[in-house]
Formats: sequence, structure tokens, C-alpha cells
Amino acid sequence: MEGMQEVLALFLSVDNFVAIGVGVLIGVVVGAIPGLTATMAVALALPFTFSLEPITAILLLVGIYKGGMYGGSITAILIHTPGSPASACTLLDGYPLTQQGKAGKALQMALYSSCIADLLSNLALILFASYLAKIALNFGPPEFFWLICFSLTIIVSVAGDSAIKGLIAASLGVIVSCIGMDMVYGSQRLTFDNFNLMDRVAFIPLLIGLFAVPEVIDFYLKKAAPHVRASNTGKGLTGGELKRSLKTIVRGSLIGVIIGAIPGTGATAASFISYSDAKRRSPNRANFGKGELDGVAAAESGNNGVAGATLIPLLSLGIPGDVITAIILGAFMIHGLTPGPVLFQENLTLVYALFCGIMLSSAVLLVVGRGVIRYFSLVADIPKEILLPIVLMFCVYGSFAVNNSLFDVGLMLLFGVVGYLFNRTGFATAPFLLGFILGPMFEDNLRRTLLIGHGDPMIFFRGPITWLFIVLTVLSLFFALRRYWLDRRQAAA
Amino acid sequence: MTLSFKRALQALLLGAALPLATLAHAEWPTDNIRLVVPYAPGGTTDILSRKVADMLQKELGTVVVENRPGAGSTMATAQLARGGRGADHTIVMASPGHTIGPMIYKSLPYDPVKDFRFIRNVIEIPNVMVVPADSPYDSVGEFIEAAKNKEMTFSSAGVGSSIHMSGELFKTLTGTNMTHVPFRGSGEALPALLSGDVDVSFENLPTVLPHIQSGKLKALAVTSKEASPFLPGVEPISTIAADQGLGDFATTAWFGVIADDSMPDEAVQKLQAALDKIVADPQFLTFIEQFGGEPAEQAGDAFRQYVADDVQRWSRVAGAAQLD
Repeated sequence: MEGMQEVLALFLSVDNFVAIGVGVLIGVVVGAIPGLTATMAVALALPFTFSLEPITAILLLVGIYKGGMYGGSITAILIHTPGSPASACTLLDGYPLTQQGKAGKALQMALYSSCIADLLSNLALILFASYLAKIALNFGPPEFFWLICFSLTIIVSVAGDSAIKGLIAASLGVIVSCIGMDMVYGSQRLTFDNFNLMDRVAFIPLLIGLFAVPEVIDFYLKKAAPHVRASNTGKGLTGGELKRSLKTIVRGSLIGVIIGAIPGTGATAASFISYSDAKRRSPNRANFGKGELDGVAAAESGNNGVAGATLIPLLSLGIPGDVITAIILGAFMIHGLTPGPVLFQENLTLVYALFCGIMLSSAVLLVVGRGVIRYFSLVADIPKEILLPIVLMFCVYGSFAVNNSLFDVGLMLLFGVVGYLFNRTGFATAPFLLGFILGPMFEDNLRRTLLIGHGDPMIFFRGPITWLFIVLTVLSLFFALRRYWLDRRQAAA
Repeated sequence: MTLSFKRALQALLLGAALPLATLAHAEWPTDNIRLVVPYAPGGTTDILSRKVADMLQKELGTVVVENRPGAGSTMATAQLARGGRGADHTIVMASPGHTIGPMIYKSLPYDPVKDFRFIRNVIEIPNVMVVPADSPYDSVGEFIEAAKNKEMTFSSAGVGSSIHMSGELFKTLTGTNMTHVPFRGSGEALPALLSGDVDVSFENLPTVLPHIQSGKLKALAVTSKEASPFLPGVEPISTIAADQGLGDFATTAWFGVIADDSMPDEAVQKLQAALDKIVADPQFLTFIEQFGGEPAEQAGDAFRQYVADDVQRWSRVAGAAQLD
């Protein structure tokens, strides 16, 4: 009881509430602006937290993180521009919904599924941190390798109308991801001695180019009729629609929690896995990619399910799962705190006060999100001839801001043309993106596994986790191929 | 009349020349100082740089921090070495990436020692040789003995990181057979070490310190010349394994301020004086303690020599490791 009082005394301060509110608001707004990521916002906010109380400082950063994770979906839905990498999957159905005049529904679905997933993820953090942390530690390179293999099978579900074209697009993505320094030998691959390519192709310019720019090119080449609809926002989400997607949201959250608890996989993969799972189960499978609310729910619950769970390896093991948690780890250290088992022994009060704050952040996200989408949804009603030049300006600024590099702006425009050509020739851009993200993870873990196993391939089958993912990969491929075959037979008949 | 006209002309000319005179004697800095961080926001270099900028600001006026990541910090240094407009107000927080980069990224457009002004080294952080808690090896000697008969693996935060190069140096000096297993960052590398998937690592102290304290990792030695106050009882490799050929083993991660060689002497002196003050400030010392870091001493030519030694050491290691 005394402990409880201490926790509340630490947590119930105006500073903490303000920190969460301000953090979430900054996160949502920054996340919504293409090229400005939550990572950047967290890093830039860090110096301002030096003078704050440790708990206030960390809650501010966590708030930005959570807000940013959701904020990316707003522009993905409204202007086909993912505000952050993790929301690339949201636009697959979110943007078609906007085109159908249902932006309001899509935005609300994204918000509610994000908040529910965030809440479930926080609960997982509080209740199962120690169990999930153990799983995370058992995830070595061979386990990762099979997880990535499994993730690669989802390319089929975002391949659009042609599986073959999807595979070609994914392969091109893999090839582009090979540009840069070889991970093991440090040699240069496909860089043509260009200094700017020596690291690797920067992700944000590729993302913005691939999704946002083709819309702009398309509009001006087609000289489409100016916008005539009075409002694109349309009606809000009904209780029935949310209820129908509830199962998808819960499943997506769980996928997010598991992926989030394993360091190094990330929210983007989680959202695509969740999306693919929802599509496979849905009776409206054919409508996915054409404006299915369930698709938005799956993608957003997948990526927000990660948000609380990435704090599991951070708090219980002291291992940052991604760049943002690495920065939050820095914040802990600056305040003389060491995440890991020691934190639970020495600063239990702080940990529980932190948990209170994290739980509150889900509710704050809901409130802030509702306020923000009311204004942002007006974007959907701006005539395209006014909106698109502004979008293009943000594209240029966003791709420049990542590395302060003009070369990246060029890259963004180049991938814009690539994306446009893809659209014109019936190739889906999502598999290209997945190939680009998963390709290096596949290669890295394949080579790492062989290195730690001294070349013995038996290490790929070393334990129950590897076998679990082998079985999942085989099943996923089997069902995908069967469906492909059935669909073709149906089409032929 | 004529006289007064002459006088007036003189006065006018003098008046016109006055701004020029003040310009000639305008004290540096005449503009905002730009501190370029060669890595993405959020890492140790970034956090440290922002603290230094914050304190530098009180001494020299506005300091703007700018992140320019890419190609293991060489992107930012290449830009600095290009000089040009604003170079006299631009400084970079350099770190081992500056000395290792040239081995990894061929055809860099600059010489890491000759093309810069070395203002002051600010902080040094040792690396630690760590093994998983259940590892059968309790000392550096035992590890080397075992590594002579068995192929060991060591993890790192990536090719060309100081962690990787420390491992390669160990391998070269001891003649042992070790395989490098690279990860993308220490966050990804840690689980493999904690779970025993790799045998050893030469990680940065702040990354592994909590795990050493909680008993999940065993520290066999520190890689610096002196023991670290943060790890009492853990000796430097060069002391405990001198008989095994490691008498010269010394690697530390360092963070120091450099500028383009066009920076004027006055600016260098002012920066040095300001940094001297910062490094001696108790507030700064408490801050760097969180990173397991210690204040560095080298400034000017001593710092240049320090960097030159580092370049030489890594080029030997890179040659032996056959890095491309």
C-alpha cells in the first residue's frame, strides 16, 4: 500500500501530464509530416529533457514515440504519402478510401485501431515483460532468418493482381537494397564509386519518392479534372464497422507485440505481417488494396502494437529494439538510470510510475488524435492543384532533412519516376518496398547464422523457434500458392 | 576654405574606412558556429555533441548543431574538408570513424591527418573485452589458449566500428583464429552476446556496463592503457596479457573537435580555450560519467599526433584483416 502511494506520488504531477500531452501532440504532428520522423523528433527533444525529472523526461520521449507511430497514418491516408515508414502499409487501403470520399472513416479507423493496439501493447509490457524478454533473448540469427523468410511470404498478399509482377517488384527492391557497403567484408557493392551511395540508399527518400511523387506526376500528366466533390471526408466510422474489425485489431496488436519484443525487426514489418494475416482471413479478400477498412485496421494495429512492446527488451534487458528506444536508453542513462534487471530492483517505484504514464499515453493519444484529425481531414478537401505542389514541397524538404543531402532529393525524384512507371505498368510498389526492407535483413541473418555456426547448415534447425517459423513459412507459402491456383482456375472458368 | 575642404574630405574618407577597420578587427566568431555531428541524431556522438554545443554557447555565442550522417562519419568530414564559405565557423565532432573510415571507404577526398585543424580531444571511452556469463573462460589468458585450438566468434556493431577493429587487433596480435560476426549497431549485437551465440566482444563500456553489473556478462579486461574507474578490478589487456603479445594493445573510443585547415588561428585558440573550460567543468564531468567516459587531454598538435597514431594502427589492422 505504501509502495502504491509512492508510485502515485511520483506519477501524479502536472509536469508528467503536460509531458505526455505535449509529447503525443508533437509526435502526431511530426509523424504526419513526410520525412520528419518520430526518431528525429525524439532525438531533437532529448537535450530539452536534461533538466527535467527522469520520469517526466522519459514520458515526454515515450509520448513523442507513440504519437509519431500513429501520426504517420494521417498523410498516408489523405495524400498517399506515408509520414513514417511504418505507415506505408496503411496507405494501401487508406488512400483508396479517401478517393472514395471516406477519409473520415479511414482516419478514425486508423486512430481507434492505433489506440487499442497501443493499449494492448502497454498491457503486454506491464504484465508479460519478463516472459517476452526471454523469448527475445532466444532470438538469435537463425531464428531471425526464418522469421524473415516467413515475412517474405507476405509479399504475395500485397502483390496486387499479378503474383509474378509482385515477385519481380520485390526482387528489384532487394537489388536496390544491395547498394552500399557489404555487411561482412566492408566492400562496396553497386556504388560505382559514388561517394553518396557508399552507405546505402536512404530509406525515407525512397519511401516518399515511391508513394507520394507518382500521385503528383499522375495528376499533371493526366491533367485530371479539378476536384469537384464538396467534401472528401465523408461520414465518420460507425460502431458496427469498428466492431467488425475488432478481431483484426486484436490479432494485429498481438503480432505487433511479438515483433516489437524482438529487437531489430521493426514496426514496418509488423504492419505488413498483420495486413497479410487480415487479408488471408477476410471474406472481403478481393477488396484489400482497393479501400477496405479492415486493411487500415490491420496495418495500424500492427505498427502501434509494436510501440509498447519495444520497451520490453529496453526496460527488462537494457537492449534497445530500434533507434528510438536507443535514444530513450540514452535518456535513462543521462539521468543516471540503467534500464535492465537492475532498474526493477533499485527503482521499482519509478518503473511503476512510468507504467502509469505509459498507460495514460494511450488515452491521451485518443484525445489528441481526435482533435488533430478534425483539422488534418480538411486536407482531403483541398483541391489537388493546390495540394499537390505543397505535397511536393514537403517531399523535397523531407527527403533533404534526413541527411541534409541534396543527393537524397535527387534519389527521391528518381524513385518517384520509378513508382510512376510501376503504377503505369501494373506493378505494385508495396512488394518493392518490402523487398527493400526485408532483403538486407534476410542476407544479414543468413550470413550471420553461417558465421556463428562456422558454416554448418544444421544451425538453421537448432530449436523450437526455428522449427515454428519453418512450419509457418511452409504453410503460408502453401496457402498462398493454393489460393493463387484456385483464383486462376476460377478466372479461367 | 580649401583647407577645411581637405579636412572634410579626410574626415569623410576616414569615416568611410571605419567599418572596414572594425571588420578587420572584428573578433571571431562573427557568425553562428556550426557544430556538425557526423552521425544520426540519438547516438552517443549526438548526445555528447549537443551537450558540448550547449556549454560552448555560453562561451562563444550561438552554436547550431547539425546532423550530417553517412558512410561511417566520412560524409560529414568530406564536406568539412571541402572548405569554402562558412568553413571558418564550422567544427565537427570527430570520433574513431574519422580514423577507421579511410580503411573502409576507399577514395576519400581528404587526408584524415593533414587536411584538418585538430582543436581538442574531449572525451575518451574504453572498450571492454566481455564474454557471456556462462562462458568457460575467466581470464584473457584462458581465452587466448582456447582460441588457439578452437575457432571463436566475436560480435561487433558493424564493419569498421571501433568494436570490430579492436577484435581484429586482438586477433592479429595473438595470432588466434576468430570469426567476425557483424551486426547493425550494438543494440542488435547485444542479444547474440548475452545468449552466447558469439564467444566474445570488445564492446564500448557504456553499452555493456549494466550487463556486467547485473552479472550477465563477464568483463575480462578493458582495452584502454589504464583501468577504468567504472570497472574496478578489471585490468587493461596490455597489462594482464603482455606475455601473450598484447603489450601494445590499446584502443579507446574518442570524441574530439576538428575543423577545416582554413580555420584562422584566432578561432582555433578561442575554441581551445572554451573547450578546456568545458572539459574541466564539474557539470560536464558528471555528464560524461553516464557514458563511462573520461575527459581527454590532447589539444592542437598533440591531438593531431594522437589521430595520426590511430590512423597508423588501424591501417595495420585493416591490412592484416584484409578489409577491402
